[in-house]
Amino acid sequence: MSASYILKRLMMIVYTLLVVSLIVFAITQILPADAAVMMLGENATDEALEALRQSMGLNAPIWMQYGQWLGHLLQGDFGHSLRTGQAIGPVMFEALGRSMLLAVLSIGLMLVIAVPLGIIAAIRRGRIADMLVSLVSYIGVSLPEFVTATIAVLVFADLMAWLPPTGYVPLTENFADGLAHLVLPVCVISIILIAHVSRMVRSELVDVLHSDYIRAARMKGLSSGTVLRRHALRNALLPTITIVALDVGYLLGGVIVVEEIFAIPGIGRQLIVAIQARDLPSIQAGVLIMAATYSIVNFAADILYAWLDKRIQYD
Amino acid sequence: MADLQQPPVLDIRGYSLDYEAPNGTFHALKDINLSVPRGEILGLVGESGSGKTSLAWSIMRYLPKNARETAGTILLSGEDLMKKSVSEIETMRGKRISMVFQDPSTSLNPTLSLGTQLSEVLTRHRGLTRRQAWREGEAMLARVGLKTPAAMMQRMPHEASGGEKQRVVIAAAFACNPECILFDEPTTALDVITARQILDLFVELQAETGVASLYISHDLALVARTAQRVAVIRRGEIVEQGPVNAIFAQAQQAYTRELIAAVPDPRRRLVETRPDVSGDALVKVEEVSVHYGRTGFFSSLTGTRERVTGNRAVSLDIRRGEILGIVGESGSGKSTLAKAMTGLNRFEGRIWFDGRPITGLKDMDTAYRKDVQIIFQHPDASLNPRQKIREILSRPLKLYGSAAQLDQQIGDMLERVRLPRTHADRYPHQLSGGEKQRVAIARAFASRPRLVICDEITSALDVSVQASVIELLLDLQKQSDTAYLFITHDLNLIRQIAHRIAVMYRGDLIEIADAETIDSPDRAEYTRRLIQTVAPPAGATHPSS
Repeated sequence: MSASYILKRLMMIVYTLLVVSLIVFAITQILPADAAVMMLGENATDEALEALRQSMGLNAPIWMQYGQWLGHLLQGDFGHSLRTGQAIGPVMFEALGRSMLLAVLSIGLMLVIAVPLGIIAAIRRGRIADMLVSLVSYIGVSLPEFVTATIAVLVFADLMAWLPPTGYVPLTENFADGLAHLVLPVCVISIILIAHVSRMVRSELVDVLHSDYIRAARMKGLSSGTVLRRHALRNALLPTITIVALDVGYLLGGVIVVEEIFAIPGIGRQLIVAIQARDLPSIQAGVLIMAATYSIVNFAADILYAWLDKRIQYD
Repeated sequence: MADLQQPPVLDIRGYSLDYEAPNGTFHALKDINLSVPRGEILGLVGESGSGKTSLAWSIMRYLPKNARETAGTILLSGEDLMKKSVSEIETMRGKRISMVFQDPSTSLNPTLSLGTQLSEVLTRHRGLTRRQAWREGEAMLARVGLKTPAAMMQRMPHEASGGEKQRVVIAAAFACNPECILFDEPTTALDVITARQILDLFVELQAETGVASLYISHDLALVARTAQRVAVIRRGEIVEQGPVNAIFAQAQQAYTRELIAAVPDPRRRLVETRPDVSGDALVKVEEVSVHYGRTGFFSSLTGTRERVTGNRAVSLDIRRGEILGIVGESGSGKSTLAKAMTGLNRFEGRIWFDGRPITGLKDMDTAYRKDVQIIFQHPDASLNPRQKIREILSRPLKLYGSAAQLDQQIGDMLERVRLPRTHADRYPHQLSGGEKQRVAIARAFASRPRLVICDEITSALDVSVQASVIELLLDLQKQSDTAYLFITHDLNLIRQIAHRIAVMYRGDLIEIADAETIDSPDRAEYTRRLIQTVAPPAGATHPSS
């Protein structure tokens, strides 16, 4: 893997984030919310509002406001929340940490289940195991997370009372309790991903198993197991890396719903609160952080892929 | 040489194979009797669909689930392969019987190093440790003529050339000193010169090891050069087999004689017309260069540009009614030139067509396109699979001619390319490869062009089909006096049909020579090498040497 390949991809991220920041800034300008009114309340005098606008730089031309905002961002300053007056950065990153924990656990659980399912379905193509996996995948894909979440809470928290229904306990505070609170949300998020990824693994593996080089490997006298492990799986799982990275995009969206349902103070929840309060700087920060997360995950996936498949750097 | 005292290494007796299909049983192989003794190369020749590859899979015991073996036995050194269990077969494959495939770029795993793919045979069958196998692998690569075996072991398939990859595949096939090796068109996917080198290597290794070899090919000329005996297979049946010389000298079956006659032979000129040398040339290509590779967004920021040259200042002319052949290895830039002339590539330099300057795509108006048509290599890719032949052929008529009496015109076009008028109602997939290429030819001729560019149009076809397509093209040329730019890697073929031949090498035009004198010793060094590589087909006049 060449340094120029990595550099190119990094440049791409910078470019993407720049465009995202522009869009985010533009959208918040269009929103019918006045930061000064938000801070001083509906009954503030015109003079007071005007003075605040002046001091916040809200009367400056838009491009100057954007430049200032971007300048602060580059120094790690996300501004202060209009709602609480707190610095946004630390609050958002703490929330991001909780969401990441949720996401990483979900992806981990998903991989552990989806990859073997996909492999079984591919090897037993057209037989009962394959059809069962297909059926379960379709059900998983077609149920939205608010439905599965509701059912999960109803069954496992209400009826069985095995798990806490909602809430969040930091793992550092009480590991067992923290984990118990994570089980349901992690499962709910995984279900849709499992369906998606297992189907992907299946179709990739079916393709690879039909390729000439697999036949050639068989003709060398390698056993089916060796052919599968050494020749087929690696190539079939490569595209899965990209798919999982793209799924992080879904995860960021899905996490908002799941965090809301399970009352987990993650970044999705922060964003919802910010939107409800028309807290413009927080909305901007939240969206940007999500976009950055998505870009970085996909960057990492590209690098991993290029490292595993040496042909990539030549593209 | 063949040792006739011992029982044959590979012995197939009365073997029949059926495929169960939803619409009935297909008899793929019927009563096959073949035997290959130690030290012999048996050539198995047949057209596509004749069952020759099915036979290879039968021998390797790798048949699809719908295959039914209805009769016969397949013996390897006296052991019945059909009675072996799966795990027994797995220990035999690669060790006692191995296989070399057509295309090394697909038969090697793209994500494993060449060394891994070679040494895994040794660890599997000879019980070597990885380290031993790696060292042994290097020795094998040296034996198959690779200059830097240690470095080659480390390389990934995409870092090696086609010839190098095929050498690795051959090394793997020979690695465990098998009793029998099947070669399934091992040189078809390679360049002329590379193919010749691979063939030489194969003959050398075969003589050295004495391995019984079954060499499967559609190319009778090629088989005649390597094999001692030939079996001709047609529709699942062996129609004739015997020593190469005997078959070429006095084939018993009409079908075999047809196959022999279809092999391009430069001593037999097929073209009868003469180009019009009076007046200006129809096409003048002046200093045309083509570069590939776009300047990407980031490259333009950093100022780095990667350009690959496809053509370097090529100049040539095509006379009215001339057949100009372009030969060269793959990557020599012959198709690049065709793409430049049809506006599929940007180019620098200038093309004059009938006195009109063409500097780029913007100059290629409807009039130019009407006059300059192109036929591509793969009709499967160039005919829209969702359109009936009628629709495919009506497009150029509507665009360049008159849409009056469309059905009548389409029928006439089909008849001109010797297809039944009723084919208009068919879809491309209902036609054979040769028929599809005839449709593509009809489409190109619909606008009554003055120049038709034929880009490897017969290389995906069987030899016998190729012969009939060539005959058709020459007939059309005689009737219409159209000029052809005929691009091919088949030197023997082009020597039969071209008036002049342009030789290209790595983007450069080496020279243009009259077809009759292309084999003169005054030719450029590269041209002489090409001619030597592609010796005229063996046969009665060319005893096996």
